[in-house]
Amino acid sequence: MTQATFRPPGHAVLRTGKSSLLLHRRSLLVALVLTALLAATVVASLCFGESFVAPGEVVRVLLGLPSPDELVVGTLRLPRLVTGLLVGAAFGVSGALIQTVARNPLASPDVIGVTHGAGAATVAAMTFGVTSYAVLPYVSVVGGLAAALLVYLLAWRRGLHAARFVLIGIGISVALGSLTRLFVTKGDYLVAQQAKVWLTGSLNGRGYDQAAPLATVLLLLVPFLLWAGRAQRGAAFDDDTATALGTRLDRDRLGLGALGVVLASVATAAAGPVDFVALLAPQIARRLTRTPHIPLLCSALMGALIVTVADLLARRLFSPTELPVGVFTALVGAPYLMWLIVSSRSGRSGGTA
Amino acid sequence: MSGVASRRVGWMAVALLLLLLAVLLSLAVGSRAIAPAAVWDALLHGGTSDDAQVVRALRVPRTVVGVLVGIALGVAGTVLQGITRNPIAEPGILGISQGASLGVVCAITFFGVHTLNGYVWYAFAGAAVAAVCIYVVASSGRGGASPVKLALAGAAMNAFLASVVTGILTTDARALDEFRFWDVGSIAGRDASIVGQTWPFLVAGLLLVLAMARGLDALALGEDIARGLGRNVALLRATGAVGATVLTGVAVAAAGPIAFTGLAVPHIARALVGPGHRWLLPMAAVLGPVMLLLADVLGRIVVRPSEVPVAVMTALAGVPFLVVLVRRRKVVAA
Repeated sequence: MTQATFRPPGHAVLRTGKSSLLLHRRSLLVALVLTALLAATVVASLCFGESFVAPGEVVRVLLGLPSPDELVVGTLRLPRLVTGLLVGAAFGVSGALIQTVARNPLASPDVIGVTHGAGAATVAAMTFGVTSYAVLPYVSVVGGLAAALLVYLLAWRRGLHAARFVLIGIGISVALGSLTRLFVTKGDYLVAQQAKVWLTGSLNGRGYDQAAPLATVLLLLVPFLLWAGRAQRGAAFDDDTATALGTRLDRDRLGLGALGVVLASVATAAAGPVDFVALLAPQIARRLTRTPHIPLLCSALMGALIVTVADLLARRLFSPTELPVGVFTALVGAPYLMWLIVSSRSGRSGGTA
Repeated sequence: MSGVASRRVGWMAVALLLLLLAVLLSLAVGSRAIAPAAVWDALLHGGTSDDAQVVRALRVPRTVVGVLVGIALGVAGTVLQGITRNPIAEPGILGISQGASLGVVCAITFFGVHTLNGYVWYAFAGAAVAAVCIYVVASSGRGGASPVKLALAGAAMNAFLASVVTGILTTDARALDEFRFWDVGSIAGRDASIVGQTWPFLVAGLLLVLAMARGLDALALGEDIARGLGRNVALLRATGAVGATVLTGVAVAAAGPIAFTGLAVPHIARALVGPGHRWLLPMAAVLGPVMLLLADVLGRIVVRPSEVPVAVMTALAGVPFLVVLVRRRKVVAA
């Protein structure tokens, strides 16, 4: 063989010197379109509010040029938007990873108890006097990991069956939700107030205080995410195929799953449980790109897009009242989950007893 | 009397004793410590002391509402498990309770209904719509209404309805004010008049369900066999669904959504008296209030001096049940 003339269908090869990169053409296109949409949403989201700001001024502020609307756009609206973008991206990637590991579109962090675990741990910490946003994200991560581990251990019975995993996840979610309310009842009035706002999954009043730890964690995770992009393709196969291809399946799945849980927990720490983003984003992204695996980058973009659009609608639709963004994502996400159930092709996902 | 029958009667007696104990505990325990003798005295003779007032005006209505809601939820869970032939069917998990909640919120917000007698109908309507939606969603697609699909459809339904409720309440402060005392799933601070207004519905639901006990037994054997035994399966299911909906609506109208009582109680009852519904239904009706009252009493103790709503306690107690059920091979074909 002289030159590698073989090219998988739908891919383009990018060569720079000796190194080359295989690019899925459609994924690239989808990513570009999503980025453009996201940029449009960002500008729109900064334009609309109590007072309308012309798009031209918004762009000037974003580029750092002097503008009379610096205060409204740069100081009031931008921090909230940044938090929304980061939270959405984190949820999107998290959902993509966990769905890959479970090989089941229904297994999203909110269904299997991760977000509720993070929520319960955070509210517990608030109850016992930890209210600083510098510490809470780490508490959240511990809570999310603990919940995921608990669900995993309880669902393990001579192998991990997806249906059992999901059922136990739902149960544990409910229990942790109750536990959260127990803590809210136990805490004093101010804690209850803070916890209540946080628990609705809202971007209202979120700013750089919450975005900073999230951004730090995301930056630290970038190398792992690059690894995940590769490992994910192997882990998406069924056990036999993956083993035959030489994938170290257990190690990869553990790593991918842990990464997904950490991402979901950090995002929850920043904005509270924003339901169904982690379920929706990867599935939509995958349907758009038509790739065999779930595309990570497109999931991140899709997640960010969903959260910012939902937040824009939640802010403006019933103005002056602001709805929590979680309400909006659930309104769209829950019917989608039902549609997934209706259209599921797998008749063996659970037998009738 | 055969061995089986005497065992059933024995367990029934034990359950009734437990119920008595739970009622007494519910009357005696609370944030204000009152001696059992004083409770007894207040019950028999009344009186105007503070203790007597607390017992008669607060704890007696609370206990009665607890018994009523417990009966409704226990029986509703049993019937749902019977007609869906699904061990994890339960009004709370399936989102039927949340549907009833939405009905009540709509009644308050859009139709200006402010009396229990008025909004109990909306609770029924909400519960019925939610029940139908869940079943349609879960039974379509391949594989029929399997436990996983039912639970997932229920979880989705719960999330959806809860967000609709939140949406309505955030935009309407007046409704929130009226609703927030009610939505947590608590039997505290309920008026005695609630009992007076809901008991006819409870009785109607119970009669409907008891009348079809034999039919449920036939259905347990499978649809085809039930049909072969001369049962009208569609009619059975419809009657059962109406009965369960009415019972859930009663429970939600009286106490707000309370999950997991309807899941645990039928399984405990089945372990004690076997799968025959003529014993199972009464047993569930006795054990339901036992579980609810004990959970409520526990909720008064754990975070003294404040109280935990009973729904929180039943969920914490009920989830281990779900886990054990799911881990058993029968539920999920592994």
